[in-house]
Amino acid sequence: MVPAMKRDQFNSQSFGSPLNTLVKEARILMVGAGGIGCELLKNLVLTGFGEIHIVDLDTIDLSNLNRQFLFRHEHIKKSKALVAKEAAHAFNPKVKIEAHHANIKDPQFNVRWFSGFAMVFNALDNLEARRHVNKMCLAANVPLIESGTTGFNGQVQVIKKGLTACYDCTPKETPKSFPVCTIRSTPSQPIHCIVWGKSYLLSEVFGASEDESTAMDHSEDSENAKEIEKLRQESQALKKIKESMGTPSFPQLLFDKVYHDDVVRLRSMEEMWKSRRPPEALSYASIIEQAAETEASKEKVLKDGQRVWNLHENVIVFKDSLERLSKRFEEMKSSNSNGSSTEPVITFDKDDEDTLDFVTASANLRSLIFGIESKSRFDIKQMAGNIIPAIATTNAIVAGLCVLESFKVLRGEYTATKEVFLSPFAPERLLSSDRYRAPNPDCPVCSVAQVQVLVDMSRATLGDLVEDFLRLELGYGEEIVVNHGDALLYDLEETDNLSKKLGELGIKADSFLTVIDEDDENPKGPRVNLVLNVQESPEALDKKPIKGVDLPAPAQTENDEPASPIPRRKKSSQPSNGFHEPVAAPMMRMELLSSTTDFLFILDI
Amino acid sequence: MTEIITDQTPPILHGPSDKEKKYDRQLRLWAASGQQALEDAHILLLNSGAGTVGVETLKNLVLPGIGKFTIADDATVGQADLGVNFFLDEDCLGKSRAESCVKLLQELNPDVEGDWFPRKKGESLQTLFENEQKFTLIMYSLPIEQQNLILVQKYAEKYQIPLISIHSAGFYSYFRIHLPGTFPIVDTHPDSTATTDLRLLTPWLELSKFAANLTANFESQSAHDHGHVPYLALLLYYLEQWKETHGSLPSTYKEKTAFRDFVAAGTRRENPEGGEENFDEAVAAVLKTISAPSLSSSVREVFDYKPSETEAASTFWVIADAIKKFHAKHNALPLPGSVPDMKAQSTIYVQLQNIYKAKSRQDVSEVLETVRAHPHGKNIEVAEVETFCKNAAFIKLIPGMDSTPPSLQSIANKEFENDQMAELTMMPLSLLPIYLSLNATSHAPSASSSDIITSLSKEIPDASENERIVNAAKEVARARGGELHNISALTGGMVAQEVIKIITKQYVPIDNTCVFDGITSRTQILRI
Repeated sequence: MVPAMKRDQFNSQSFGSPLNTLVKEARILMVGAGGIGCELLKNLVLTGFGEIHIVDLDTIDLSNLNRQFLFRHEHIKKSKALVAKEAAHAFNPKVKIEAHHANIKDPQFNVRWFSGFAMVFNALDNLEARRHVNKMCLAANVPLIESGTTGFNGQVQVIKKGLTACYDCTPKETPKSFPVCTIRSTPSQPIHCIVWGKSYLLSEVFGASEDESTAMDHSEDSENAKEIEKLRQESQALKKIKESMGTPSFPQLLFDKVYHDDVVRLRSMEEMWKSRRPPEALSYASIIEQAAETEASKEKVLKDGQRVWNLHENVIVFKDSLERLSKRFEEMKSSNSNGSSTEPVITFDKDDEDTLDFVTASANLRSLIFGIESKSRFDIKQMAGNIIPAIATTNAIVAGLCVLESFKVLRGEYTATKEVFLSPFAPERLLSSDRYRAPNPDCPVCSVAQVQVLVDMSRATLGDLVEDFLRLELGYGEEIVVNHGDALLYDLEETDNLSKKLGELGIKADSFLTVIDEDDENPKGPRVNLVLNVQESPEALDKKPIKGVDLPAPAQTENDEPASPIPRRKKSSQPSNGFHEPVAAPMMRMELLSSTTDFLFILDI
Repeated sequence: MTEIITDQTPPILHGPSDKEKKYDRQLRLWAASGQQALEDAHILLLNSGAGTVGVETLKNLVLPGIGKFTIADDATVGQADLGVNFFLDEDCLGKSRAESCVKLLQELNPDVEGDWFPRKKGESLQTLFENEQKFTLIMYSLPIEQQNLILVQKYAEKYQIPLISIHSAGFYSYFRIHLPGTFPIVDTHPDSTATTDLRLLTPWLELSKFAANLTANFESQSAHDHGHVPYLALLLYYLEQWKETHGSLPSTYKEKTAFRDFVAAGTRRENPEGGEENFDEAVAAVLKTISAPSLSSSVREVFDYKPSETEAASTFWVIADAIKKFHAKHNALPLPGSVPDMKAQSTIYVQLQNIYKAKSRQDVSEVLETVRAHPHGKNIEVAEVETFCKNAAFIKLIPGMDSTPPSLQSIANKEFENDQMAELTMMPLSLLPIYLSLNATSHAPSASSSDIITSLSKEIPDASENERIVNAAKEVARARGGELHNISALTGGMVAQEVIKIITKQYVPIDNTCVFDGITSRTQILRI
C-alpha cells in the first residue's frame, strides 16, 4: 500500500520548499475575472497562493459560458468577481480570496492599496483599464504580469518599474473613427452604414445625441461647414419625429424621414454625385405593401442571422425592432417618471438583440440606398460590436504562462522573465518566447519620475507647490507646466491659480499632477516629466504645507547646478543600453535566451 | 388539437438561439461547419497517473461544446488528486476518479454528454473496445500500463482514429499526435492579405477588355476620370505598354521596381493634392500582385501525392484530382474571385467585382464537371467544390507516419548537432532531452534519474555523457510522476487546440510532437 499523499504533495515536490513558501505567503491581486481570469484563478488557487484579491465590475453574460468555466447558466447577470470567488474557494479552502465587484479605477483602489500586493495580474479586456493598472503599478512600484488574448493569439509580459518595458512603452492602436460627412452623406462601405445605424440613428432616437459619440469625427473645415450645418438641421427634424414614438405611425414617419426625405435632399446636391452613384430613396408605404408576405414569416427571418436579408426582410425587421425598442423606451420612461427628469437611454449592446436587429436592418437599408453590399446580422454583430473571438484553449495557455512568470517575480529574478507570444499560425512552434524588453527611455508613462507628496490640504496653495516645492526643493527653473489630468493649472502665462488652495482646484488625496519641464535651452536638456501623487497629511504640517515622501537621492550633477532628484531627459538619439526598438510583428522575433541559467534556477532547489 | 393551439399562439422567438449566443465568440473562428463537427464528435480519454492533464484538456473541449466524451480510468480519488485536479472535491474522496471527473466536467456545459468506464469494479478495458467504433478521437495520458497502451493502439489502428498521447510531470510536458494516414486540410485559414489573387500577368479576355475600356484615350481623360481608374486597370494598362517596349513582362525584382517607377511616373501631379490616390494604390500593389502564379510547396505536395485506392475515393482526393487536371490545363488554379477595396467609382468597382466573380464561377463549374465525371464524384456537394476552389492555393497535407520512422538516435544526432551551433546561430537549444526523459518514464513514473538514463541508453547509447539529457532526467525524476496543475492546465490548452483543429479539419495541426519546457516557457515541435 502506497502511503497516503498530502494535498500539496506534487507542488512541494516540484517547487521545492523555498518557492513553495514564497507562493503560500504571497498576497496578490487579479484584475478581471473573465476569460483569462477564470483560468488564472483556478491555476493560482491550485498553485497554492496564500491570498488572492479579485476586482471586476462586469456581470456574467450567456456568451461568456463557452470559456469562463467558473460560471453557469444560473449565474447570468451576477457579479463575475463574487461568483468566481465562490467557485474557486471550494477547491482550496486554505486560500484567502477577497472579491470586489467594482471598477478598478474607483478611488478606493489608490496607490497605497496597490502597494499592499506582492504582484498584480492583469486579466482585462480593454486598453483603458490596462493603462490604468499599468500606471498604478508603476506608481506603487509593484510588479505587474500583463496578458491578453484574441482568438488563437495571446501574449504575456512582466512589467517591473525601471527594469522591464511597461504597457505603454510601445504605442497602442486607437479605435478608428470616420469623418462625419462620410457617415452621414457619402458612405461607400458597409461599415459606414453600420456606424450610421449604431452611432447616429439609434442614439438620435433612443439615447444620447451623436455629439457624444467617438465613432464619428466632427471636425469642421471650410469645405464641410455648410454640409455640417445641414446635418444639424436634419437631426433637429428627427427630434420632432421622436415625439410620436409609441404611436402606430412612428415607424413610417421615421423611415420616410431618414430613407426618403433626407435622401432626396442629399441627392439634390448634384456636386456630390458627379463621381459617385447617387442614392435611391425608399418609400415606406409601397415597400410595406409588397412585404406583406415576408411579414408573415417574420419569426423565421429573425432567427436566420447567418443569411443576408433582402429589402423586404430588412424593412420588416426595421419595423419590428423599432416597435420593440419603442415599447421598452416607453416602459423605462414611465418607470422613472416619479421625480427623475432625465430621459431614459438605450445604447447599442452587441448582445442585446433588439438593438442589434435595429442596427442590422437600418444599416442594410442604407446600404441598399447607396448601392453598397448588405451584410448578415452575424457579420454586423462583429463589425458593430468590436467582437473579439475568444476561446477556452488560448486563455488556458496564457493563464498558465502568467503563473510561470509569477515564480520568477516572486524570486525577484526579473532578468529571467520572458515576453511570450502564442504563434498559432506557425505550426512549427506554437509559442515564441523572447527576452524581456528594457524600458523605452521616451515612454510617456514609465520614463517619468514619480514622487509622493504629503500635503496639508487646509492651507497648501498652488503657489506653495510651484515656488516652494518644485523650484526651491526640487531645483526647477522658470519654464515649467503643471497639469492635473488634461487641465492646465500653471505655466508662465497662467498664474491666476497660484494663490488658490489645491482643494479649490479640484485636487484631493490620490490625485496625480504632472510637471513638465520646458527649459529646452538648458544644454543638458529638460528634466523628465514628474508625476506627483498627492497624499493628504493626517495632521497639519508645522513648517511648509507640502513635503516630499522618500525623495530619491539627488542624481549626480555637475557643479554648475543645484542637486536635484529629478533626472534630465536622456536624448532619444542616444540609444540606451539594451533597449530594443518596438517591433511591429512580435511573432516574428527570434528567441534570444540563455536556457542554462534558467535551468539552474530549478535544479538549485 | 395541439396544432391549433400552437397556431394560435406563435412562439415568441427573437433572434439567434441560446446556443448560437453561447458559442458566438468561437463561431467567429471555425464557423457553423466547425461547430457541427465538434458536436458530432465523441472523444475518449484513457486516464492514468496523476490524472490532471487529460481532464484539463477535456475541460477545454467540453466548454466549446464537443458532442460526447468518455473517461476510462480505474483510479480512486485520493488527497493528492484534490491538490492538483480542479474537477474533484472533498466529496469525491474514495470514489471512482473517472465518474467524479465526468460529473464535474459535465456541469460546465449541459449540452455535452459524458460517460465513464469502468462502470463495475474490475471491468477490463478490453470490454470498452469490444463493440463497434464509437470514438472520433482518443487521448491517453502517460504513464500508462503497457497492456492498456497496446489495446488502445490496436483499436485506433483498426478504426483509423487519431490518437494523442499526453505526458505532464513537474515543469515538463509533451504531447504527440498520431494521425491515421495522411490528413488533408482544405480550410487552412490563411492570412487574409495572402489570399488576393488578381491574375494581372495573365488576364482573361473580359478583364482585359474592361480595363482597356477604362483606359481608352488615357492621357486625355478628365482629371476626375483619370483619378478614378481602379488600380487594377492602371496596372494592366502599364503592363501592356511595358511589354511593347521591353518585349516581355517584368519578372525579376529589378524589373519590377523599374516597372513601379514607370507606373508612378504616370501620376498627374498638377492638382491640389499633388498626386492621385489610385496611382498610389497601384504603385503600392506592384510587388505584391505582379508575380507569375506559382504553386506553393504545400499544394505541390498534394498534387504529387499518390493516394491509396480508398483515399482516392474520398471527396478531398476526387476534388484535388480535378483541381490538378484544371491546373495542368490552364497552368493556374481556379480563381478565388475576391477583389480588394480600391479607389474607384462605385459602379465601376461593382462591375469589376462581377467580372472576377463570373470568372471564379466559370472555373468552379469546370472543376465540377471533372468531379462529376469521376466514378466517386456523383454525390459531392457543389458547395464543397466551391470551398475547395476558393482555398485551392492554401490546401495542406499532413503526412501520416512513415512506414519506417527515423530512429530516435538519428533525430537526436540532428538536434544535438544544431545545439553545437546554437551560440553562433542564436537558435534556442533543443528540447529533445525533455521528450527523451519523459518518454523513458512512460510505464515507470517513479524511475530514478539513473533508471531513466539506463532506459534511454538502449536507443541513445551515449546518453549518460550528454549533460542536457542528464539534467532533464534529474528534473523528471524529481517530479516522481507528480503533475503541477499549472503546467497541466497550460498543456491541456495546447492539446485541446490541436484536437479542435483535427476534428473541425480547419487550421493546420502540428506535426507531430510538441515538447513544453515550463522552466524556460518554451515549446518545440518535432516530428518523431
